[in-house]
Amino acid sequence: MPREAEPSLNERAFVVQALQEGLRLDGRAFDQFRGLDLKFGDHYGVADVTLGKTRVLANVSAEVTAPYIDRPFDGIFTITTELSPMASPAFEVNRPTETEVLLSRLLEKTVRRSNALDTESLCLIAGQKCWSIRVDLHVLSHDGNLIDGSCLAVVAALRHFRRPDTSIEGETLTVYTPAEREPVPLSWLHSPFCITFSFYGEEGEIMLLDATLLEEQLRVSSCIISLNKHGEICQIAKLGGTPVEAVSLIQCASAALTKGKELSTLLDQKLAEDSKRRDKGGLLAELSAENER
Amino acid sequence: MPLDTSTYDLALLRVDGRRWNELRRLDGQIRTQAAADGSSYLEMGNTKVMCVVSGPSEDKRRGQTSASTATGSNAADVAVSVVVAGFSSVDRKKRGRGDKRIQELQTTISKALASNLHTHLYPRSTISISLNVLSQDGSLLAALINASTLALIDAGIPMTDYLVACTAGSTSSYAANDDRADPLVDLNNQEEQELPFLTMATLGATDKVAVLVCESRVQVSRLEGMMAAAADACKGVRDFLDQVIREKGHKMVTEGTIEKGASMAIEIDA
Amino acid sequence: MTVTTEPEALLSYLQKADGSATFSYAGYTVIGAVNGPIEVQRRDELPEEAAVDVIVRPAAGVGGTRERHLESLIQSTLRQIILVNNFPRTLIQVVLQVTVAPENDYANAKVAQANLNLPILPALLQTAVLSLLSAALPLRATLASTALAILPEHGDRRIISSPTGRQIEQSQSFHVFAFTSHDELILAESEGSFSMKEWDDALAAAQGTCYPPTTTGDTDVLMDDDKLVGSDLKHFTRSTMEQKTASDLYWK
Repeated sequence: MPREAEPSLNERAFVVQALQEGLRLDGRAFDQFRGLDLKFGDHYGVADVTLGKTRVLANVSAEVTAPYIDRPFDGIFTITTELSPMASPAFEVNRPTETEVLLSRLLEKTVRRSNALDTESLCLIAGQKCWSIRVDLHVLSHDGNLIDGSCLAVVAALRHFRRPDTSIEGETLTVYTPAEREPVPLSWLHSPFCITFSFYGEEGEIMLLDATLLEEQLRVSSCIISLNKHGEICQIAKLGGTPVEAVSLIQCASAALTKGKELSTLLDQKLAEDSKRRDKGGLLAELSAENER
Repeated sequence: MPLDTSTYDLALLRVDGRRWNELRRLDGQIRTQAAADGSSYLEMGNTKVMCVVSGPSEDKRRGQTSASTATGSNAADVAVSVVVAGFSSVDRKKRGRGDKRIQELQTTISKALASNLHTHLYPRSTISISLNVLSQDGSLLAALINASTLALIDAGIPMTDYLVACTAGSTSSYAANDDRADPLVDLNNQEEQELPFLTMATLGATDKVAVLVCESRVQVSRLEGMMAAAADACKGVRDFLDQVIREKGHKMVTEGTIEKGASMAIEIDA
Repeated sequence: MTVTTEPEALLSYLQKADGSATFSYAGYTVIGAVNGPIEVQRRDELPEEAAVDVIVRPAAGVGGTRERHLESLIQSTLRQIILVNNFPRTLIQVVLQVTVAPENDYANAKVAQANLNLPILPALLQTAVLSLLSAALPLRATLASTALAILPEHGDRRIISSPTGRQIEQSQSFHVFAFTSHDELILAESEGSFSMKEWDDALAAAQGTCYPPTTTGDTDVLMDDDKLVGSDLKHFTRSTMEQKTASDLYWK
């Protein structure tokens, strides 16, 4: 399979020297994100995140299934990340690359293990029926900072998602179709966000946010911090690379908190806008909106 | 909750009777395998790992199972493979080769070592490190990193400094917003199950952090305390590793230049 | 539940791929990306022509045998229109990512196994062609594809083009046709029970959708764009390309 083109020596020297002089190739400040756009689809549970030239699409779906035998009171929640050759020909189908493994582990730790989604609320009949919530993450275009974008897309899609309403009468479980009853949102506990820091220089003294693919290829080390707006760290991953002073990592954590709060506000605002758009004039408008499609 | 550590407040003693800044019993040996270029055996409490280093050797086509650093051909490749024995923990769960958790461990160790080793001295070659986990009782990543450092020193591969790792936790879980939370170091499995913790690897006795992995929910404000405790513990681990190496070196000097592997008569009392 | 009647397309929409397009029609939205000609793996290498690799990915769930089947249909179709002989020992990779499929409000779908079927085939083919055009790969011809359902109605039969999910459920038979821009039939897939006569009628109707019956071959260059947009898929492809070229060369 074709390999990702590596930056040439000149390019490498140019970018690194520019960073040492306090400049980024695209003229951003070191702690500035690229243009971030979040769009929701016509269906519930579709979120499309554009971060500069990076583009990620998350799609949430739900179905009723049997729970795992060892966890009869929990629903099933999975996040699938399969990078297709669409993002880069270097990604091969059915052969996960390191990027893919790390991305899926990170999302798993950030969203699933931090209990962002209350899996107990997905239980319908203990030990027999539960909801299985599945997030499919599609990377459409990869130009760096896949992790922050993907995490935002996954969290946004899950918060946007509505699952079919259910009711239990005696022993019978009824799952209502969207036409019968308005679908209900998932029971959501907190919204974690990933912030990736890239380090440059001999001792990792230069710190960048939202690195592009070129910058990512040249970094000496990186640190990914996931946290929610309450200041709870869900995960930190500085997986090797050039050693960095402990103090600057603590600075990273506080910078991540500020950025996480910004992302959280943005997401709340977008969700509110979307629900307003859907709810224009109540139920009637919703029907006509469907007709337009 | 698997157990209750709330008794900590009474006597400031942990479940296994340690104080907050005490490490578990450390036991390390180097040159345990005669055939390997470098090898080590390390116990951190009941976490027991074995490490074998071969190389630097000619670049082979890399296998799928090991994580390696793609640094191009100008520096040696550090290929790490971690095998967790089925009998290493209470639940005998069979972990496949494609296990993402293991792959992440491999990548972490590989990248951390690659930045510490002088890989540029061995272009177009591979340093392969295989780690075997014999028994698990918390601080797994830390033990793996420490064992690889020992084995790499045995293999005589130049490095900047010891890469040493240790875990640090914090009493009271994330739910309780307890200001009196104390940091703890070198957590065992019981404590890892219950308390928020992080694994930190530093370069020798400095404050430079090569690896920082946290997988549990914890307040940002606690991070600093935990990292400081971990950094102190890392210094302790470094002193221990240094002692192991020096003892071995001393032994080799006093016994004369011994043939490699002849020093196999070591006390494997585990 | 209604669907868009007007097809919509956006060309060169992903920055990283050599060519890309997004196409929405009949409730489906598909994003296509083409990389090629690129290096081919040894085992897939063909000594005298380019290997064409098609990957179809559903919006939710993992692909299964149905996706593999669609991939093989598209692969053999595209191989015919791409000038594969121009690029021996290379690979042309077409990735088709479904992003929106029509949802049925009256039923709760199972998702663990994605369920892409024949109805999505026209959208996939159109996307693939637009992406190939965007990647500027030399083609023998473009193609246009449409889906038809034959519904029983008052004892008689009615042919519906671009049917909705509901109509497909009620239909007796379902057909997908694709034609090249030289008016040749390149793909015909049918399911259900039908007579030869019905198939002929469907073919004629499909030809009418893909091409206006009055024009053939080369004269379509002279046709008025506005008149036929939407009803004529070949023209749609053409006008999309023209718009894209016009906007790209705006500076001239």
